[in-house]
Amino acid sequence: MASTLAPAPALAPAVVTDQRRTPGRPSLYVALSLGLVVMIAPFVWMVLGSFKSDAELRQTPPTLWPMSPTMANYAELFDRQNFPIYFGNSVLVAVVVTLGNVVFASTTGYALAKLKFGGTRLVFALVLATLMVPGMATFIPQFVLVSNLNLTNTYPGLILPFLVTPIGIFLMRQFISGLPDELIHAARVDGAGEFRIFFRIIMPLCGPALATLAILTFFASWNNFLWPLVAAQSEDKYTLPIALALFSIGQNRADYGLLLAGATIVALPVIAVFLVLQRYFTQGVATTGIK
Amino acid sequence: MTAAATTGTAEPATARSRAGNGPARRSGTSPARRRESRAAWILCSPFLALFAVFTAGPVLAAFGMSFTDIRSTDLRSPLAVGVVGIENYAQLLGDDRFWRAVTNTGIFVVIGIPLTMACALAAAVGLNSIPRLRGLFRVGYYLPVVTSIVAAAVVWRFLLQPDSGLLNTALGWIGVDGPRWLEDTTWALPSIIAMAVWRNLGFLMVVFLAGLQTIPNEVLEAGQVDGASRWQRFRYLTLPLLRPTLLFGAVITMIGYLQFFEEPFVMTQGGPLDSTLSISLYVYEQFGFGNYGFASAASYVLFVLIVGVTAIQFRLLREKG
Amino acid sequence: MITNRRARAVTLATAAGLAASLALAGCGRDDATDAPAGAAPSEVAEGAAEGTITVWAMGAEGEQLDAIAEGFMAENPDATVEVTPVPWDAAHDKIATAIAAGDTPDVSLVGTTWMGEFALTGALDATPTDLIDETAFFDGPWSTTVVDDTSYGVPWYTETRVLYYRTDLAEQAGITEPPANWDELKALAEGVQQSGAEWGIYLQPGSTGAWQTFMPFAWQNGAELVEGEEFTLDTPEMVEALEFYNSFYAEGLAPAEADVAIEASFVDNKVGAFFSGPWHMSLIRDAGGEDGTWTVAPMPAQDSGTSFVGGGDLVVFKDAENRDGGWKFVEYLSRPEVQQEFYGLVSALPTTSEAWETGELAEDAMLATFGDQLEDAQSPPTIPTWEQVASVIDAEIEKVIKAGLPPADAASAIQAGAESIGTGN
Repeated sequence: MASTLAPAPALAPAVVTDQRRTPGRPSLYVALSLGLVVMIAPFVWMVLGSFKSDAELRQTPPTLWPMSPTMANYAELFDRQNFPIYFGNSVLVAVVVTLGNVVFASTTGYALAKLKFGGTRLVFALVLATLMVPGMATFIPQFVLVSNLNLTNTYPGLILPFLVTPIGIFLMRQFISGLPDELIHAARVDGAGEFRIFFRIIMPLCGPALATLAILTFFASWNNFLWPLVAAQSEDKYTLPIALALFSIGQNRADYGLLLAGATIVALPVIAVFLVLQRYFTQGVATTGIK
Repeated sequence: MTAAATTGTAEPATARSRAGNGPARRSGTSPARRRESRAAWILCSPFLALFAVFTAGPVLAAFGMSFTDIRSTDLRSPLAVGVVGIENYAQLLGDDRFWRAVTNTGIFVVIGIPLTMACALAAAVGLNSIPRLRGLFRVGYYLPVVTSIVAAAVVWRFLLQPDSGLLNTALGWIGVDGPRWLEDTTWALPSIIAMAVWRNLGFLMVVFLAGLQTIPNEVLEAGQVDGASRWQRFRYLTLPLLRPTLLFGAVITMIGYLQFFEEPFVMTQGGPLDSTLSISLYVYEQFGFGNYGFASAASYVLFVLIVGVTAIQFRLLREKG
Repeated sequence: MITNRRARAVTLATAAGLAASLALAGCGRDDATDAPAGAAPSEVAEGAAEGTITVWAMGAEGEQLDAIAEGFMAENPDATVEVTPVPWDAAHDKIATAIAAGDTPDVSLVGTTWMGEFALTGALDATPTDLIDETAFFDGPWSTTVVDDTSYGVPWYTETRVLYYRTDLAEQAGITEPPANWDELKALAEGVQQSGAEWGIYLQPGSTGAWQTFMPFAWQNGAELVEGEEFTLDTPEMVEALEFYNSFYAEGLAPAEADVAIEASFVDNKVGAFFSGPWHMSLIRDAGGEDGTWTVAPMPAQDSGTSFVGGGDLVVFKDAENRDGGWKFVEYLSRPEVQQEFYGLVSALPTTSEAWETGELAEDAMLATFGDQLEDAQSPPTIPTWEQVASVIDAEIEKVIKAGLPPADAASAIQAGAESIGTGN
């Protein structure tokens, strides 16, 4: 399962910009910009909508700019005395789950991609199997299990089931398998131990993959609704999506203003994390001293 | 330690390049191999531990449930249920609505996956080629992923409104009488597909961007020097090197799309007349009705489908050499 | 090494299979331990409540519960009420999983259509007759708590459906009184359409929940949904009701698309009438509907003027740690003055008839319409399979309206579907 790249020699430090001087660049910008408009329009509407009243949001056809912009939705959400708790819980769970995945998915992915051991096939099969089982089926048995372990309404109960996700392992495995084996061979020749190879040589090369993994995991954890809902028995363990559903959705009607304000609040940290991590997406795969 | 390391390095190049799939494996284990093997098991142990505790049991339990007639009313005494063998599965395969869901899911996947992957790849390559404003476009293309499905649904519904929607109005300018999109049994599913492509493009684009970074410049420059056109460089150099990433993208998107749920749930509730009913929606309904045994059976049929399709993809996109 | 690995894999698989089959071997439906039919309610200890009472409540109703609980805690100084608000969105799942794990609170709010399912799990405690007086409640709401002849909870707040229509458009067409029967309803729809509304009336044309708009017509025509343990869904009365419902579409009086925000259409002359519950009054006002241009009216009558009743019930769980405290809290919430106080906070209609006799509920004309309608409102049978049967009804209604299925065939399909689903008992 390890692959070797066609050119055996090592990679020179990659230059990120200007590798292709494309003549039709202006037209590329135009095409990308048109696509951009389509992509961001609903998001823009969502943010603008969070400043509208529920009544205005129920109008047809929908309006774009708020007729009389109001901060009332945000005021109401932040007014809830428990808001910092919900926000804090979401942050705690999402950060821990993301860190856990960054570390453990990488270790497992590396082992599957580059190391020869008897369990390769089995572990990869388990990873894929977990990935492919529809979540709805295992939901209730998982909850009963967690309850029997007395983990309901605890932070471990919220975090542990997601600490290493199969999608993360799969991502890291694929990415790492594209790295040249020679790096590892050379390091072994130099006498480096397995773990040092992993931490000192492989991980630094995984910038883009780790950034991708981090943003994916953070997003999934941050927006997770159903599991925290059943795993938390008291309000002080609620995460943000639960709290927002609580405030905005009634038995027979929803308050769309609160809903959109909540959705915006939920979206902002994910965007922030994305912005922070995004320079790693195009980090060159630079290596040193292999030649 | 050094001596052992040197003996260890004699093997690797040959044995390893034969991947794990041939009888070329040696039977003896050198200390280096053992060290490697031990390290690998240690590195995998967190996943295996969590799997054993949180996943293995529930997966088996759910599988077991699919052979019983367990319902939500049995929740307090789950072992006191009737074992019905494959009756759930038989009933499932005899249900017209289920087959409708399978067909819809199939169409969704066959059209949606290539479309999403092509668009995401195009976006990634495009973004990789522009020197400025990369960050802006990256964030922008990723925004649909973080836009609440409720907000997205309102905007898309407005777009697809039969009488006053943007799309039909625009079509009207060029003299085309647009269909009733979400209310038309023929056009509802394509509308849902378009929305899914829109939503999932950003995530795949990010993955492909990461993959594009592993392609060394010299390779492409060498190709340019050899006179290959941009398209040829893309097709014969970039794409093959992108295989692992493409495989990941294809598998993940396929697994996600086979279980597509949110778009029809929010936009059409599976209608009109079951034309956008997906397998996941069908399963969700059954869980909602409390037919846990039956719903588990449907989930595992979906699982088998996912496994089958994924196996095919691995075969097609498997790394060579 | 290959053979070792393969052997290991085979062993693992066999072990898993064995484990599974062992577990299954222990299974078996024992008819004797089936649903707790006719469980006798046990009594509640006398005196003030003590200890902590954990309560789950949804939505706005849940949020205001803290304020109401103050009064209870003043009366019972040794008791503390802990309310955990739960979102409506997935409350059903949360309660179901809590029951599965044996991890329930003392008291919970439960949607009326969930009662059958939860009662038959055996997780709910039967309503103690020494503490709660059944006759204080409206019949319709009370019936939502009764499963297999035993009551498993107390209706807390209720809602029922009435006719909303544009009085100004109706008057232009010469209609000055609310429609009293089906013919007059049809005439109203035609009249408001002639006066300028794009559609005479809005009726939900299939998809989730359409049965709630349709079922009153069936009941008004004398149709019964179940008789004993059998479904009776393809009676002539049912077919007539379906034909009547469909006639609005066939005659161009009702739009065949689902309308997401009816109140806007109502105010903008797009729709002249519709059926809904009390929450739409404030929605219409917020959308700009002026008083005097619209009103609410009771259901038109054929054999009867029956409407649909829903709302929320309070239940106490068998696994509750503080059962007595739970029931005492429930009793407190059922007092007419407390129900009135609750109405003041949340605008959820009380379930005790006495609460309607004074205050705003007695004086406001529109609210009085709801109060009157509550005297003649039915709920669907409290069987655990009702949601699934309802989805069959929704689907067949959609086929009648959108695919031209003859109502008689639809009724047969509904009956066949319901029979194969069963009553879950």
